[in-house]
Amino acid sequence: MSKYYDLNDILVEDEVVSTVFHHKANGVGYLDPGSEDDNVEKGAVVELPLWLAQDLSRRKIIQVNLPPCFGAKVRKEVQADPACVNLRSKCPYFYEMGCKLADITGDPSLGGFLLSTLRGRYRDILCKALTSTITSTPKFMTLLTQEETHLFEAGRDSMRTFQKWRLQGPQLERAPILGRKRR
Amino acid sequence: MYGRSGAELVRELTFDDHQIRRFNHDLFNKVLGEIQEHYYQVSKIMTLLQEENPSGQIMHVDGNYSGALIHHQSLLRNKRCLLSYLYNRAQRIQRLRWQLGAVLPEDVRDLLHPSEKEFLKSYSDILGSYMTTVDLDLTVDATPPKDPYIKIRVLQHIGEVLLGDQTTSLSRNSIHFMKRTEAEPLISQGLVEEFNG
Amino acid sequence: MAGQGNAAASLFTEPEMEFLGEDETISIIPNVRLEAVQLICGDFGPFYPQIPVKVPLWLGIAMKKRSKCRIQPPDWMSVERLAQVLDDEREAPREFQPLPFHYVEISRLLLDNAREDFENNFMVQSLLEDIKDVRWDKVEAGLKTLSTRTHAVKLKNVSAMEVNRMRNFTVRALQSFYKHDSEDLVKQTGLESDSQTTSTSSEHLPRRTLRPR
Repeated sequence: MSKYYDLNDILVEDEVVSTVFHHKANGVGYLDPGSEDDNVEKGAVVELPLWLAQDLSRRKIIQVNLPPCFGAKVRKEVQADPACVNLRSKCPYFYEMGCKLADITGDPSLGGFLLSTLRGRYRDILCKALTSTITSTPKFMTLLTQEETHLFEAGRDSMRTFQKWRLQGPQLERAPILGRKRR
Repeated sequence: MYGRSGAELVRELTFDDHQIRRFNHDLFNKVLGEIQEHYYQVSKIMTLLQEENPSGQIMHVDGNYSGALIHHQSLLRNKRCLLSYLYNRAQRIQRLRWQLGAVLPEDVRDLLHPSEKEFLKSYSDILGSYMTTVDLDLTVDATPPKDPYIKIRVLQHIGEVLLGDQTTSLSRNSIHFMKRTEAEPLISQGLVEEFNG
Repeated sequence: MAGQGNAAASLFTEPEMEFLGEDETISIIPNVRLEAVQLICGDFGPFYPQIPVKVPLWLGIAMKKRSKCRIQPPDWMSVERLAQVLDDEREAPREFQPLPFHYVEISRLLLDNAREDFENNFMVQSLLEDIKDVRWDKVEAGLKTLSTRTHAVKLKNVSAMEVNRMRNFTVRALQSFYKHDSEDLVKQTGLESDSQTTSTSSEHLPRRTLRPR
């Protein structure tokens, strides 16, 4: 319930996964572009958003296939050189989605894969976060997933506010809501 | 359908952390419409189920059961998106009260939904009456105070202002020495800036 | 602003740390005669010209700004002491030397507002810079060792500002590791689990204190 209003959590669950229907479903033809009447037939392969797939798979109505970003090919790539893989382009909510999928699919190795990925990428994020300069948004950031971006920003912003304080001391500032307007 | 519009509405809030955008009536109403549609579909299937099986007991998973479930879940999902949109906006609106004071600039006010304006007013009244009771302006000294007086530079022409017991004319680019607590709201509103020269 | 504004913002902002540091006492040499002042934090004074007296840093600086006193540089801010600290910091790559908890804030305030009261102020400043950098390198090295099963980090003698600088990142990193290391998620065997929650069970993991070594 604590995450009910959480924007990020809502968006994670908007990601799409491929599923197989174990049962027929009436009146929901819109889910399956290939369906001829208003129903989804048993055995149909349908892309569903995570929020729907979660509930249906718990009730054993569908089976969720692991998306390619957690597949063998990506795993190999990540193992070879974790820091250089562009995970953002594969899945911006890599970790959050992975956690939810580990629960749904019961894939025993998925959790371990997430953890080793995080461990492999952590040091690079740390170093880049603490050394990034005041203005530039490094190219490096385009490789990061949502969770990694938050981690990176947490480090970088602390460095920035500290630098700012050292240079000019405490200063009153205008409300951030007005920030976008010209001065 | 699919909860796509709902997620789009929510995504709008993640583009910026602090800003308030114009209330998205079109998308909001579209999601409301989807909820209506899902509700209608659920009712339709439920009536069917009732006719087939008057006892109301669901014995096994069939097409109707799955269909009703999907519509029901979609309805709940859309509801969550709408509530989250409203809730997170309300949080930001509360923050506005602390940063900009009880009276919002016209252009910021225009971004709010009529009921959000009402919410802001009620919130502002509660805060105001509390601050009157404890006889303390809680919105100043948001950063720790230093000297009680600071130097400021005027960014926009403001005109005659009552400072302490005398009126001062604040015209653009002029520099003044004034009480920190009096300067703070003006700085927060972006009318003047702290000047360290 | 703590508490409001960006929810992800650190618990304390730098100006707030500075404010806390201003409560440390410091010796000043007044050049005016003043009665004792009674403050919530205690009584200070009376003030006589040329007689050193202890006051909170904020009061000392307020008087200094109005040319009512000179600041007596604290002992630890002498060139000899700082040079010694810098040497020791370099000698012991995994330990932090004891310095006042608010040394970053105090030294910045003093050097900004009472520069001329320091002999060799340039030297003092540059030594402080070096000390700060050496210590920060150690913090970074310590952060690199964060990993799974890190439940707590012990950093003796780290100063307020240094803790504050790494707080956000460290907390987030620990949270991420903690989340992904939960037993439900990292299953060794392919046990089927119906649990819908993916937390809480790792509270039973053995706690290990991570020393910066």
